[in-house]
Amino acid sequence: MIETESGVFLEKTKKDEILTPETKIDKSVKPVLAMSNEKIVIETKTLDFYYNADAHALKNINIHIPDKKVTAFIGPSGCGKSTLLRCFNRMNDLISDAFHTGEILINGVDIYKEGTRLEDLRKQVGMVFQKSNPFPMSIWENVAFGPKVNGINDKDELNEIVESALKQGDLWREVKDRMQNSALDLSGGQQQRLCIARALANKPEIILMDEPASALDPISTGKIEETIEELKKNYTIVIVTHNMQQAARISDYTAFMMLGELIEVDLTKKIFTNPTQKLTEDYITGRFG
Amino acid sequence: MNSAKSYQKKKGTGYVFTSGLGLVISLAMVAWIIIIILVKGLGFFWPGDVLQVKLQNGDSYMGELWDEHLDKETLVEETQIKIGNRDVYGRDFIWLKNNEIASRSYPENAVTFERMEYGNFYGFIKAAYLDDKIVQPGDGETLKDVVFDVHDQAMDTKEQINDLQEEATEIMAPLAEVQREMTLLQLAGAEETATGKQQFDELQKKADELDKEISPQIEKINAQLTTLVLRDRASYLEVETADGTTKHIELSSIVRFFYPNEMGAVSKSIHYAGKLWEFVADNPRESNTEGGVFPAIFGTVLMVLLMSIAVVPFGVLAAIYLNEYAKQGAIIRFIRLSVNNLAGVPSIVFGVFGLGFFVYAVGGSIDQLFFSSKLPEPTFGTGGILWASLTLALLTLPVVVVATEEGILAVPRANKEGALALGSTKWQMIRKIVLPNAMPGILTGLILAISRGAGEVAPLMITGVVKLAPTLALDGSFPFLHLDRKFMHLGFHIYDVGFQSPNVEAAKPMVYSTALLLIIIVVLLNLFAIYIRNNLRKKYKTSTF
Repeated sequence: MIETESGVFLEKTKKDEILTPETKIDKSVKPVLAMSNEKIVIETKTLDFYYNADAHALKNINIHIPDKKVTAFIGPSGCGKSTLLRCFNRMNDLISDAFHTGEILINGVDIYKEGTRLEDLRKQVGMVFQKSNPFPMSIWENVAFGPKVNGINDKDELNEIVESALKQGDLWREVKDRMQNSALDLSGGQQQRLCIARALANKPEIILMDEPASALDPISTGKIEETIEELKKNYTIVIVTHNMQQAARISDYTAFMMLGELIEVDLTKKIFTNPTQKLTEDYITGRFG
Repeated sequence: MNSAKSYQKKKGTGYVFTSGLGLVISLAMVAWIIIIILVKGLGFFWPGDVLQVKLQNGDSYMGELWDEHLDKETLVEETQIKIGNRDVYGRDFIWLKNNEIASRSYPENAVTFERMEYGNFYGFIKAAYLDDKIVQPGDGETLKDVVFDVHDQAMDTKEQINDLQEEATEIMAPLAEVQREMTLLQLAGAEETATGKQQFDELQKKADELDKEISPQIEKINAQLTTLVLRDRASYLEVETADGTTKHIELSSIVRFFYPNEMGAVSKSIHYAGKLWEFVADNPRESNTEGGVFPAIFGTVLMVLLMSIAVVPFGVLAAIYLNEYAKQGAIIRFIRLSVNNLAGVPSIVFGVFGLGFFVYAVGGSIDQLFFSSKLPEPTFGTGGILWASLTLALLTLPVVVVATEEGILAVPRANKEGALALGSTKWQMIRKIVLPNAMPGILTGLILAISRGAGEVAPLMITGVVKLAPTLALDGSFPFLHLDRKFMHLGFHIYDVGFQSPNVEAAKPMVYSTALLLIIIVVLLNLFAIYIRNNLRKKYKTSTF
């Protein structure tokens, strides 16, 4: 096993143990790539990603992610769904030996194109992490962090941004009277919604969510899901989840990944009721996972 | 099974006891050191009773009882007495065999004098003289009242003399400045050129004018001074030692005097507090064996502060580079190893480096560039508080780097990623997330650096510490902080008083007192840093849910 920052994925030797004869990928069935009538925001072309020369984490990924919809990535642990998610805002650049081949286009522009400012990309593509990570500062400072580092210093403007972000994150009612309190005093669910609000304060176009509710109780999870439901009117959301019910509840499209390969992408309804691939069906019906 | 269990338990108990023993021994040693330093250091200031012994051969000595022990060879009990009166006896201490002592007494009218020179004097007061005339006690007055009164008068006179001298220096200052400029011109050979000659003549004219202006004032002051000095010299006490020798002591050379055998616990305590205050707040006397250590305290604290100002930014920047920017690999591992090993290099090696690099190379260049007019007399090209502080900063740099690195490593990765994901640049992330969170670690490094730096003596001895500094490095004259000045240091003071003073035996208690003070100052500096660190820890406690 190789530990990576986005979780754990398996070495070559282990793969065959999981791939039983009946769960081999049916290469004759092509994965669905695009939904013809939607506007595409993120597109990858023959994307291969390596944590290092021996760790091939993503293999030939071709996916289209539509505008103002929720797209869920599902798949067993170590299948590369978090890695793929982190490719979209170049979070993987932090890993020193990692490299990739192929292209990632956002609104048709290659994000690895020379001259791309990482800060601008990450402002455009916000991210919410698995474990809530509020900074040890006040609630207000947390939400204003993004706009501030991106050059907004006017106090009134910041106040406006903070208020609207917290309202969108469905946290405003709970914290409006204690904006100067430490963010660490909030409950776990509130902290995660604060992180969502913090990402929204940058006015992003896309929000990446890496298992945002996996560390939360069912009630907090419900609130997060409601928030996502609300947000998809204005934002494109890509969410990684372990919880298939959650994917079924909140997403419009679902992508199933396994061992670094994209097995199938389709409307969520179709994936959960009538998947094309045998492997997808096996995973969804709980035959492995 | 039971037996196996009890065997294991017994085996474990042995380890517990052994490790416990180790702890007890360490604690006992620490406690022992502290108790010795406390007792000997604080006991020094207590006014001891004055013992008079008469020997069978008729000799008589008077002084403070210092020590008693059994001579192992002759099996005779011996008594050590601090007899003082160095100008009379030539030594401060005397060992007497107990079987030769005929009588011991504590005479009520015995007096202890603390003097500016020659250490303590123990004796009896016979008479007081002012202006060479004997002062008789008036009605209802005792000789004691008279003596305290004339001593006060003498001290007033002394103060007047000092004030007048200062006044004279102040009046002379403008003239001295003009004369200095003239000397500089002469040295530069300006008289050979026409403009230089003109300049010189102008200065000469100015000097003459100034001289005319101030000479009446100076003459007046000099006249006053002469009277005062004469009066000062003619005011003295006639005193008698235990064996009846009489002697004159100038009143102005007596710092204070008291009748220890008459004093009760309360007046002794007041005296004790006064002595303690003198120790902390006054200048040293008598090649540092008497008086206070204020300049040394000042030098120590100022040096530690300068060192901290220098070491923290460099250490923190180095740690940030090592952890956040550098690509981790063999080179960085090697650098980290080297930094860690630097902490183990003997301090005198840093001293030698400081002397060669800071004092000679950097200081010498500064002198040539900015202070060439004063050469060959060095300004920065000789030891000074700046170079000593920088040398110690170098010495403590590894400690700060290592502690800061630990602090940086403790910053949650999630927070760093969170900041980057919000579009901050790496430097913004370091400044807003890493540094505040690593602050407790940085302060831990500072605490360790202070502990190491404040007690270090060897490197200072060759980079600027002196036995006696005439002026403090921080004073009221421009530019207030004189980084080129030499300074005094408590650690060096201990060494100097204990091993370099002409009167080691008498100075021994001073060593303990100074050591105690050094410990207290290091503890106080540390407590201050710990206080700040704990406040920051509360502020940056990590997320829990």
